[in-house]
Amino acid sequence: MNARLLGVALVLAAARPATAVAQVERLAGRVDDATRAAVAAVVDSAREAGVPAEPLVNKALEGASKGADGARIVAAVHALAGDLGRARSALGPGASPAELVAGGAAVRAGVRGAVLEELRARYPRESLMVPLAVMADLVARGVPADTAARSVLVLMREGVRDAELVAFRQSVERDIALGAPAGGAAAVRLDGALPGTTSTTPAAPRKP
Amino acid sequence: MTDDDPLIARVAAELRRPRSPGPGFDGRVMAAVRAVPAPLPARAWAWLREPRVLALSPLGGAAIAACLAVLAAAGVWGARRGSRDGSGAPAVAARAAAPAAPSVVTFVLVAPQASTVALAGDFDGWDGARLPMRREAAGIWTVDVPLTPGRYDYAFVVDGRRFVADPAAPRALGDDFGRPSSVVTVGSGAPGAAGGSL
Amino acid sequence: MIEDEPDGALVRRVLDGDLEAFAGLVARHRDRGLRFAASMLGDAAEAEEALQDAFVRAYRSLRSCREPDRFGAWLLQILVNRCRTRAARFQRRNRQFVRDDAALERAAAPAGRSREWREEIERALARLDPLQREAFVLKHVEGLEYEEMTRLTGARVPALKMRVKRACDRLRVLLGEESGRRDR
Repeated sequence: MNARLLGVALVLAAARPATAVAQVERLAGRVDDATRAAVAAVVDSAREAGVPAEPLVNKALEGASKGADGARIVAAVHALAGDLGRARSALGPGASPAELVAGGAAVRAGVRGAVLEELRARYPRESLMVPLAVMADLVARGVPADTAARSVLVLMREGVRDAELVAFRQSVERDIALGAPAGGAAAVRLDGALPGTTSTTPAAPRKP
Repeated sequence: MTDDDPLIARVAAELRRPRSPGPGFDGRVMAAVRAVPAPLPARAWAWLREPRVLALSPLGGAAIAACLAVLAAAGVWGARRGSRDGSGAPAVAARAAAPAAPSVVTFVLVAPQASTVALAGDFDGWDGARLPMRREAAGIWTVDVPLTPGRYDYAFVVDGRRFVADPAAPRALGDDFGRPSSVVTVGSGAPGAAGGSL
Repeated sequence: MIEDEPDGALVRRVLDGDLEAFAGLVARHRDRGLRFAASMLGDAAEAEEALQDAFVRAYRSLRSCREPDRFGAWLLQILVNRCRTRAARFQRRNRQFVRDDAALERAAAPAGRSREWREEIERALARLDPLQREAFVLKHVEGLEYEEMTRLTGARVPALKMRVKRACDRLRVLLGEESGRRDR
């Protein structure tokens, strides 16, 4: 790593304390005391539900940085805690923070809890962060949530994983940007991404 | 004309039962609303206040293509790329040596008229002061950030006060406090997967 | 708080650039919109998509909403058209991935006898002429006056009254037959 990158890494390392209390302390000087207390309360009850503090505090910091008032910050943190809690219920206690954040985004995007449960049941030992992230990102581009979920489920069943899932999402985004309707773009790219179809896309390797 | 037929009344009562869309409906609508290209329906003067920023995107026009040629020669390429090897040439997909090792992500914004551009996001507590971006040729601002695997909301802060989403990246969902953010997902180094930015 | 602001204020906020204020309009009008769309289209998923579509179109053309304080009525007008379009080209979605569909649907399907009655009604509604169905729903489910219905549909009051009457007559026949076949 060159010196500049090392400097950046050190700066970022300082920004990620471990405990929930230490996380809430990051709000000092960024939000007023009342807001900090309210966020701390949300963080505490979220911890009890197995939801990590860091994403909640990040959301509060985002609001502070963007000049939002305390009530809106607390509401946003509360809403995020709800999303993460639903992801936690669906993904189970072994879910990593990264999986929960991606799962929360998928939930926010309208992906049903049953889909997260199904993913966990089918792939108990793999990280679901990227599949869930791809679902959320597809919805952000206008693909209906059920279509996005189905596409990822089908691709994964055929052995497609992280990098190819992302490539799928990027190709759908390009098609949408070029004017294709969102749901149709996903369907077309899904056809092309499945092994055994006539397409210039090479078949995804199957995992053992 | 009112119909007092009890059957019709029963039918109407059943159809009138309150019902709500499934969870996430609001989120889907707002996600679609956010994907509507600005400045709709903001008024014209609000649009004129926006900084003249362009995205580095695969669909860019001739001017951007020229910038890309400059960047490729200088060893920088695209909106976000993975780790570089020691020679400085960018790798298209990085492979982390161990799980959860950080990958270096390059963020780029084309903003020729900006005086300063910084990066703010989940990875730096949305500070805006911690990650100033460096101006390269032709108004292109970049910064390299090592990120451990995960999903991060972020935005560019132009001239210290204006939040700009990355037009080439997926939008962040959830409350963005009225100023749109983008998302980057950094993969892990699991075998068979690509590390680096996604 | 956004929840307390009237429709007109929220619309003006959105037009001034506060996109997130639109979420308040969505929250306030989505249940009623779904009730209408579900009555018209029968299929819950189709109804949600039609409603989502209507909201996005409302957002896109928000500048042309002449009475911001009556956003709900304006949205309903858009939704009426969305439902008409969808009903006209309603086709089964690609069922290629049946296994995944089943897994996804299982989570959302409510159970119980009330579902049977609802399904009977939906079958009967589906057999109505679309304009009669629309007039029936606007009158008896949404409780609109005929003058309002004229604005929404473009049809004149006498025609609307005839459609409602024919819809009721047909429903009596269809549901009378069906309920005659089973014990209630």
